[in-house]
Amino acid sequence: MTIVLVVGFLLQSSWPLLQQQGIAFVAGTEWYPFESLYGMLPALIGTLWAVALALLIALPCGVAAAILSAELLSPRLRSTVRFGMELLAGIPSVVYGLLGIWLLIPLLESQFELLTGRTLLAAGLLLALMILPTIMVFSEDAISAVKQSQREAAKNLGIGWDATLWRVLLPQAWPGIRIATLLSMGRAMGETVAVMLVVGSIDRIPEPFYNLLQPAQTLTSRIGREMAEASVGSLHWAALLFCGLILAILAMAISLLTHRQRLVV
Amino acid sequence: MFWRGTFALLPGVLLFCVWGAGSLYAATTTTIKIAGSTTVLPILAEATKVYRILHPELTMTVSGGGSGVGVASVERGTIDIGMASRPLSHSEALRLNTTADVIPVARDVVAVAVSKAVYESGVQRLSLSQIAAIYRGEIRNWQALGGLDAPILVIDKEASRGTRHVFASVVLGSPRARAAGATIITGSNNEEQAVIARSDQAIGMLSNAWLNDRVRAVAVGEGDSGSLPTAENVASGRYAIKRDLNIIVPKNRSAAVIAFVDFLRSEQGQTIVQAVGFHPVR
Repeated sequence: MTIVLVVGFLLQSSWPLLQQQGIAFVAGTEWYPFESLYGMLPALIGTLWAVALALLIALPCGVAAAILSAELLSPRLRSTVRFGMELLAGIPSVVYGLLGIWLLIPLLESQFELLTGRTLLAAGLLLALMILPTIMVFSEDAISAVKQSQREAAKNLGIGWDATLWRVLLPQAWPGIRIATLLSMGRAMGETVAVMLVVGSIDRIPEPFYNLLQPAQTLTSRIGREMAEASVGSLHWAALLFCGLILAILAMAISLLTHRQRLVV
Repeated sequence: MFWRGTFALLPGVLLFCVWGAGSLYAATTTTIKIAGSTTVLPILAEATKVYRILHPELTMTVSGGGSGVGVASVERGTIDIGMASRPLSHSEALRLNTTADVIPVARDVVAVAVSKAVYESGVQRLSLSQIAAIYRGEIRNWQALGGLDAPILVIDKEASRGTRHVFASVVLGSPRARAAGATIITGSNNEEQAVIARSDQAIGMLSNAWLNDRVRAVAVGEGDSGSLPTAENVASGRYAIKRDLNIIVPKNRSAAVIAFVDFLRSEQGQTIVQAVGFHPVR
């Protein structure tokens, strides 16, 4: 019900823009609200890059940490690590953003000799840090949930630890890990403040497309920067709400995927 | 049974308390809500501090957001005074000229600010056309301007910011002009000042009050006639990039708001304007 309302509201508010410019502006590359140009492509690509980068970093690290904690650590150490991860998950995003400004950006500037550290890479790294706890905690639960009898069976069959890990534990825990991935993907996509502070907020597609050391824009950082200044009912307002609509649709697609996975389990 | 009843009552009691406190509060205070340009903000913040001592019964809130926010919020009726560091745009004026007044409270100059390292490497004066070339992306290296061989970090501002409005209309010819040479976009003066101070190859647009040792203004003008954004140069009209700082007030304003606006434009109010680092309008 609420979902229908939200999507309905977003669609209705962004309708003036759709009515006037069709749907072609989504693929446009120029965002100049004062010239009625509302190209969404740079921010879309920025969002996708930031999320992909975050997952690329956080997924291996998170799952590895989960394996370590669930299988190898003593129960006491394990609960300490888990407590730390839960703490990390609870830190407000703006704090991560400020950390990004004071630590990450100067570091990137000096390491890569950049004009500015406000880049897609900075956003991706920061997001990776933010979703790491989610991935780790969920994956750890999934791995721990694999029945002890399965582990013992593997041992009795004489299967080594690494084979047990790859053939028994990870396949069984995979649905849980996958849900963790999809959930954190949603979080990374919707994150606003931290990204806004480090991404540079300029509407430009990276050149070449894999150049992550350039400032860019994401859908959320654009909404965050421009929402307050657009007057209600204007085309600019409609365009910003359309950015929101895209995010909402992407988020729903992700939760649909999660849901189907649950049914399979 | 008794406890269950108590728990059912609790939210109701809480709500009642909040409502009661709220209405008591509303009965004893008048609230003036102010929002908008972060350039005008320090003036209003300081002025409200002084004014509240004279009128303790008033509650005043001052928040930022940019000139666009100030204008839009007055239009939506969510605030009592909007702050704008630029004149109303054509469409804003059409929507607001029967319902609100624009009142100048201070005068400001937009400085062309560069990082300390750039200034010390010899870039101390730029002509308007050189600045325009930087922002259009035609000049990308400080070497072309007499500085070191280093790329220029060109800082643009969010399109609704008053500082950008003034800068772009003088330098680029139109308040909404594109700046293809921009490297990044920042929001508030504080955010931009921090970027310039931490870099050693940046150029940006800042209000005078945000200049310091690590964020230096360059002289603006052709040949030897370049002038710094000083009080004399602004008063004599030699420095080109300047503007009025305005407040926007609905025509049907309350007595409390009228009194406060008078205070801002009084001698005492204008002393505050100077203390914060801007030029008076009287």
